[in-house]
Amino acid sequence: MLHVTAAFFLFGGSAAAGILNTLAIRAERPSETAYLLRLVRVTLPLIGIGAAGTLVFGIWLWHELGFSIGAAWIWISLALWVAGNALGGIGGRHQEKTRELAERLAAAGDASTAELNALLRDRKGNALSWLAGAAILAILVLMIWKPGS
Amino acid sequence: MIAFSRPFWPLFLHVFGAMALFGAILAAGITSAVSWRQPGLVVLRRATFRALLVAVPAYIVFRAAAQWIYSKEQDAYGGSDPGWIGIGFIVSDAGLLLLLVTIGCAFWWQRSGKPLAGRIVAGLSALYLVMLAVAWLAMSGKWG
Repeated sequence: MLHVTAAFFLFGGSAAAGILNTLAIRAERPSETAYLLRLVRVTLPLIGIGAAGTLVFGIWLWHELGFSIGAAWIWISLALWVAGNALGGIGGRHQEKTRELAERLAAAGDASTAELNALLRDRKGNALSWLAGAAILAILVLMIWKPGS
Repeated sequence: MIAFSRPFWPLFLHVFGAMALFGAILAAGITSAVSWRQPGLVVLRRATFRALLVAVPAYIVFRAAAQWIYSKEQDAYGGSDPGWIGIGFIVSDAGLLLLLVTIGCAFWWQRSGKPLAGRIVAGLSALYLVMLAVAWLAMSGKWG
Protein backbone atom coordinates (compact mmCIF):
# COMPACT_ATOMS: atom_id res chain seq x y z
CA MET A 1 0.00 0.00 0.00
CA LEU A 2 2.79 2.44 0.93
CA HIS A 3 4.84 1.42 -2.13
CA VAL A 4 1.82 2.02 -4.39
CA THR A 5 1.13 5.38 -2.71
CA ALA A 6 4.74 6.42 -3.29
CA ALA A 7 4.46 5.27 -6.92
CA PHE A 8 1.35 7.43 -7.37
CA PHE A 9 3.22 10.41 -5.90
CA LEU A 10 6.22 9.83 -8.18
CA PHE A 11 4.33 9.10 -11.40
CA GLY A 12 1.42 11.49 -10.75
CA GLY A 13 3.76 14.30 -9.66
CA SER A 14 5.91 13.75 -12.75
CA ALA A 15 2.80 13.76 -14.98
CA ALA A 16 1.62 17.03 -13.39
CA ALA A 17 5.11 18.55 -13.89
CA GLY A 18 5.08 17.37 -17.51
CA ILE A 19 1.67 18.93 -18.15
CA LEU A 20 2.71 22.27 -16.60
CA ASN A 21 5.99 22.20 -18.54
CA THR A 22 4.18 21.51 -21.83
CA LEU A 23 1.72 24.35 -21.14
CA ALA A 24 4.68 26.64 -20.35
CA ILE A 25 6.30 25.83 -23.71
CA ARG A 26 3.03 26.69 -25.48
CA ALA A 27 2.36 29.87 -23.49
CA GLU A 28 2.06 33.09 -25.48
CA ARG A 29 3.99 35.48 -23.23
CA PRO A 30 7.19 35.16 -21.17
CA SER A 31 5.27 36.08 -17.98
CA GLU A 32 2.96 33.09 -18.55
CA THR A 33 5.89 30.78 -19.28
CA ALA A 34 7.66 31.93 -16.11
CA TYR A 35 4.52 31.51 -14.01
CA LEU A 36 3.83 27.95 -15.21
CA LEU A 37 7.47 26.90 -14.83
CA ARG A 38 7.37 28.30 -11.27
CA LEU A 39 4.36 26.08 -10.59
CA VAL A 40 6.36 23.01 -11.67
CA ARG A 41 8.31 23.54 -8.42
CA VAL A 42 5.13 22.82 -6.42
CA THR A 43 5.19 19.23 -7.70
CA LEU A 44 8.83 18.64 -6.65
CA PRO A 45 8.20 17.74 -2.96
CA LEU A 46 5.61 15.17 -4.06
CA ILE A 47 8.01 13.72 -6.65
CA GLY A 48 10.79 13.64 -4.02
CA ILE A 49 8.61 11.83 -1.47
CA GLY A 50 7.47 9.44 -4.19
CA ALA A 51 11.01 8.73 -5.37
CA ALA A 52 12.28 8.08 -1.83
CA GLY A 53 9.19 6.05 -0.91
CA THR A 54 9.29 3.80 -3.96
CA LEU A 55 12.93 2.97 -3.22
CA VAL A 56 12.57 2.36 0.53
CA PHE A 57 9.26 0.49 0.42
CA GLY A 58 10.31 -1.31 -2.75
CA ILE A 59 13.44 -2.72 -1.09
CA TRP A 60 11.33 -3.64 1.94
CA LEU A 61 8.85 -5.50 -0.30
CA TRP A 62 11.73 -7.21 -2.09
CA HIS A 63 12.70 -8.76 1.25
CA GLU A 64 9.08 -9.31 2.47
CA LEU A 65 7.81 -11.05 -0.66
CA GLY A 66 10.92 -13.18 -0.99
CA PHE A 67 11.94 -12.23 -4.51
CA SER A 68 15.38 -13.56 -5.47
CA ILE A 69 18.40 -11.32 -4.76
CA GLY A 70 19.37 -11.82 -8.40
CA ALA A 71 15.96 -10.82 -9.83
CA ALA A 72 17.00 -8.95 -12.98
CA TRP A 73 13.77 -6.92 -13.26
CA ILE A 74 14.36 -5.43 -9.80
CA TRP A 75 17.98 -4.52 -10.57
CA ILE A 76 16.94 -2.99 -13.90
CA SER A 77 14.22 -1.04 -12.06
CA LEU A 78 16.82 0.27 -9.60
CA ALA A 79 19.08 1.34 -12.49
CA LEU A 80 16.12 3.07 -14.16
CA TRP A 81 15.24 4.76 -10.86
CA VAL A 82 18.77 6.23 -10.65
CA ALA A 83 18.73 7.20 -14.34
CA GLY A 84 15.26 8.76 -14.06
CA ASN A 85 16.25 10.87 -11.07
CA ALA A 86 19.52 11.98 -12.67
CA LEU A 87 17.85 12.90 -15.98
CA GLY A 88 14.99 14.65 -14.16
CA GLY A 89 17.50 16.68 -12.16
CA ILE A 90 19.44 17.78 -15.26
CA GLY A 91 16.19 18.51 -17.13
CA GLY A 92 15.03 20.55 -14.14
CA ARG A 93 18.15 22.74 -14.37
CA HIS A 94 17.31 23.45 -18.02
CA GLN A 95 13.77 24.47 -16.96
CA GLU A 96 15.18 26.75 -14.25
CA LYS A 97 17.42 28.47 -16.81
CA THR A 98 14.40 28.96 -19.08
CA ARG A 99 12.29 30.29 -16.20
CA GLU A 100 14.96 32.81 -15.17
CA LEU A 101 15.16 34.19 -18.72
CA ALA A 102 11.33 34.26 -19.01
CA GLU A 103 11.13 36.22 -15.73
CA ARG A 104 13.72 38.74 -16.93
CA LEU A 105 11.79 39.22 -20.19
CA ALA A 106 8.48 39.49 -18.32
CA ALA A 107 9.92 42.32 -16.24
CA ALA A 108 11.22 44.09 -19.36
CA GLY A 109 8.09 44.48 -21.46
CA ASP A 110 6.86 40.87 -21.59
CA ALA A 111 7.89 40.29 -25.21
CA SER A 112 9.29 36.95 -26.29
CA THR A 113 12.75 36.68 -27.86
CA ALA A 114 14.50 34.19 -30.13
CA GLU A 115 16.68 33.17 -27.18
CA LEU A 116 13.64 32.22 -25.05
CA ASN A 117 12.01 30.38 -27.95
CA ALA A 118 15.24 28.47 -28.54
CA LEU A 119 15.42 27.47 -24.87
CA LEU A 120 11.75 26.45 -24.78
CA ARG A 121 12.14 24.29 -27.86
CA ASP A 122 15.65 23.03 -27.12
CA ARG A 123 15.51 19.36 -28.11
CA LYS A 124 18.30 18.27 -25.80
CA GLY A 125 16.87 20.03 -22.75
CA ASN A 126 13.34 18.76 -23.30
CA ALA A 127 14.55 15.27 -24.20
CA LEU A 128 16.15 14.94 -20.75
CA SER A 129 12.79 15.49 -19.04
CA TRP A 130 10.97 13.16 -21.43
CA LEU A 131 13.63 10.47 -20.94
CA ALA A 132 13.21 10.82 -17.16
CA GLY A 133 9.47 10.24 -17.65
CA ALA A 134 10.18 7.27 -19.94
CA ALA A 135 12.44 5.74 -17.26
CA ILE A 136 9.64 6.01 -14.67
CA LEU A 137 7.17 4.49 -17.14
CA ALA A 138 9.60 1.63 -17.82
CA ILE A 139 9.79 0.99 -14.04
CA LEU A 140 5.98 0.78 -13.93
CA VAL A 141 6.07 -1.75 -16.81
CA LEU A 142 8.64 -3.90 -14.97
CA MET A 143 6.76 -3.70 -11.65
CA ILE A 144 3.57 -5.02 -13.25
CA TRP A 145 5.19 -7.47 -15.68
CA LYS A 146 7.75 -8.91 -13.19
CA PRO A 147 9.53 -10.86 -15.94
CA GLY A 148 10.99 -14.12 -14.67
CA SER A 149 9.05 -14.14 -11.39
CA MET B 1 -3.14 -15.53 -6.37
CA ILE B 2 -5.42 -13.53 -8.67
CA ALA B 3 -3.23 -10.45 -8.34
CA PHE B 4 -0.12 -12.40 -9.37
CA SER B 5 -1.81 -14.17 -12.29
CA ARG B 6 -3.32 -11.09 -13.95
CA PRO B 7 -2.41 -10.52 -17.59
CA PHE B 8 -0.05 -7.59 -18.14
CA TRP B 9 -1.98 -5.24 -20.42
CA PRO B 10 -5.24 -4.66 -18.51
CA LEU B 11 -3.44 -4.13 -15.21
CA PHE B 12 -0.77 -1.91 -16.75
CA LEU B 13 -3.36 0.24 -18.56
CA HIS B 14 -5.49 0.47 -15.40
CA VAL B 15 -2.59 1.63 -13.22
CA PHE B 16 -1.09 3.87 -15.94
CA GLY B 17 -4.47 5.54 -16.58
CA ALA B 18 -5.09 6.04 -12.86
CA MET B 19 -1.64 7.59 -12.32
CA ALA B 20 -2.01 9.87 -15.37
CA LEU B 21 -5.48 10.86 -14.14
CA PHE B 22 -4.03 11.70 -10.72
CA GLY B 23 -1.30 13.79 -12.38
CA ALA B 24 -3.76 15.73 -14.57
CA ILE B 25 -6.08 16.47 -11.64
CA LEU B 26 -3.06 17.45 -9.55
CA ALA B 27 -1.91 19.92 -12.22
CA ALA B 28 -5.45 21.38 -12.42
CA GLY B 29 -5.63 21.49 -8.62
CA ILE B 30 -2.33 23.40 -8.40
CA THR B 31 -3.23 26.00 -11.04
CA SER B 32 -6.75 26.56 -9.67
CA ALA B 33 -5.58 26.70 -6.04
CA VAL B 34 -2.93 29.31 -6.91
CA SER B 35 -5.62 31.42 -8.57
CA TRP B 36 -7.27 31.78 -5.14
CA ARG B 37 -4.64 34.41 -4.32
CA GLN B 38 -4.26 35.77 -7.85
CA PRO B 39 -7.69 35.49 -9.46
CA GLY B 40 -6.92 37.82 -12.36
CA LEU B 41 -4.36 35.64 -14.14
CA VAL B 42 -5.74 34.36 -17.45
CA VAL B 43 -2.91 31.82 -17.81
CA LEU B 44 -4.15 29.90 -14.75
CA ARG B 45 -7.68 29.61 -16.11
CA ARG B 46 -6.41 28.33 -19.45
CA ALA B 47 -3.90 25.93 -17.88
CA THR B 48 -6.53 24.48 -15.52
CA PHE B 49 -8.96 23.78 -18.34
CA ARG B 50 -6.28 22.18 -20.53
CA ALA B 51 -4.95 20.03 -17.68
CA LEU B 52 -8.49 18.77 -17.05
CA LEU B 53 -8.84 17.86 -20.72
CA VAL B 54 -5.77 15.60 -20.33
CA ALA B 55 -7.68 13.83 -17.54
CA VAL B 56 -10.41 12.66 -19.95
CA PRO B 57 -8.37 10.13 -22.01
CA ALA B 58 -6.59 9.07 -18.81
CA TYR B 59 -9.96 8.35 -17.20
CA ILE B 60 -11.16 6.35 -20.23
CA VAL B 61 -8.00 4.18 -20.24
CA PHE B 62 -8.17 3.63 -16.46
CA ARG B 63 -11.89 2.80 -16.40
CA ALA B 64 -11.95 0.61 -19.53
CA ALA B 65 -8.99 -1.42 -18.24
CA ALA B 66 -10.70 -1.79 -14.84
CA GLN B 67 -13.77 -3.23 -16.56
CA TRP B 68 -11.51 -5.52 -18.63
CA ILE B 69 -9.93 -6.92 -15.45
CA TYR B 70 -13.28 -7.19 -13.67
CA SER B 71 -14.93 -9.07 -16.55
CA LYS B 72 -12.17 -11.70 -16.36
CA GLU B 73 -12.17 -12.01 -12.57
CA GLN B 74 -15.74 -11.51 -11.38
CA ASP B 75 -16.48 -15.26 -11.34
CA ALA B 76 -13.62 -15.75 -8.89
CA TYR B 77 -15.47 -13.63 -6.30
CA GLY B 78 -18.50 -15.94 -6.33
CA GLY B 79 -21.10 -13.23 -6.94
CA SER B 80 -20.04 -11.19 -3.91
CA ASP B 81 -17.47 -8.52 -4.71
CA PRO B 82 -14.95 -7.71 -1.99
CA GLY B 83 -15.06 -4.24 -0.40
CA TRP B 84 -12.07 -2.88 -2.32
CA ILE B 85 -13.80 -3.53 -5.65
CA GLY B 86 -16.93 -1.76 -4.40
CA ILE B 87 -14.84 1.24 -3.34
CA GLY B 88 -13.15 1.22 -6.76
CA PHE B 89 -16.49 1.27 -8.55
CA ILE B 90 -17.88 4.07 -6.34
CA VAL B 91 -14.79 6.24 -6.81
CA SER B 92 -14.54 5.63 -10.57
CA ASP B 93 -18.24 6.17 -11.32
CA ALA B 94 -18.72 9.11 -8.94
CA GLY B 95 -15.35 10.35 -10.20
CA LEU B 96 -16.63 10.55 -13.78
CA LEU B 97 -19.48 12.78 -12.65
CA LEU B 98 -17.07 14.86 -10.57
CA LEU B 99 -14.63 15.14 -13.48
CA LEU B 100 -17.35 16.31 -15.88
CA VAL B 101 -18.67 18.88 -13.38
CA THR B 102 -15.10 20.10 -12.75
CA ILE B 103 -14.47 20.47 -16.50
CA GLY B 104 -17.77 22.34 -16.81
CA CYS B 105 -16.81 24.72 -14.00
CA ALA B 106 -13.32 25.18 -15.52
CA PHE B 107 -14.94 26.08 -18.84
CA TRP B 108 -17.25 28.54 -17.06
CA TRP B 109 -14.22 30.00 -15.25
CA GLN B 110 -12.25 30.33 -18.50
CA ARG B 111 -15.13 32.11 -20.22
CA SER B 112 -16.35 34.32 -17.36
CA GLY B 113 -13.18 34.89 -15.33
CA LYS B 114 -15.25 34.76 -12.14
CA PRO B 115 -13.06 33.90 -9.10
CA LEU B 116 -15.88 31.82 -7.61
CA ALA B 117 -15.66 29.39 -10.55
CA GLY B 118 -11.92 28.98 -9.97
CA ARG B 119 -12.51 28.27 -6.29
CA ILE B 120 -15.11 25.64 -7.12
CA VAL B 121 -12.64 24.00 -9.54
CA ALA B 122 -9.94 24.02 -6.83
CA GLY B 123 -12.34 22.46 -4.31
CA LEU B 124 -13.60 19.79 -6.71
CA SER B 125 -10.04 18.93 -7.80
CA ALA B 126 -8.96 18.53 -4.17
CA LEU B 127 -11.98 16.31 -3.50
CA TYR B 128 -11.19 14.16 -6.53
CA LEU B 129 -7.55 13.78 -5.47
CA VAL B 130 -8.68 12.56 -2.04
CA MET B 131 -11.15 10.12 -3.64
CA LEU B 132 -8.41 8.74 -5.91
CA ALA B 133 -6.11 8.32 -2.91
CA VAL B 134 -8.82 6.38 -1.05
CA ALA B 135 -9.32 4.19 -4.13
CA TRP B 136 -5.65 3.31 -4.58
CA LEU B 137 -5.26 2.64 -0.84
CA ALA B 138 -8.35 0.38 -0.89
CA MET B 139 -7.22 -1.44 -4.02
CA SER B 140 -3.59 -1.95 -3.06
CA GLY B 141 -4.47 -2.82 0.55
CA LYS B 142 -7.38 -5.05 -0.58
CA TRP B 143 -9.74 -3.54 2.02
CA GLY B 144 -12.61 -5.79 3.01
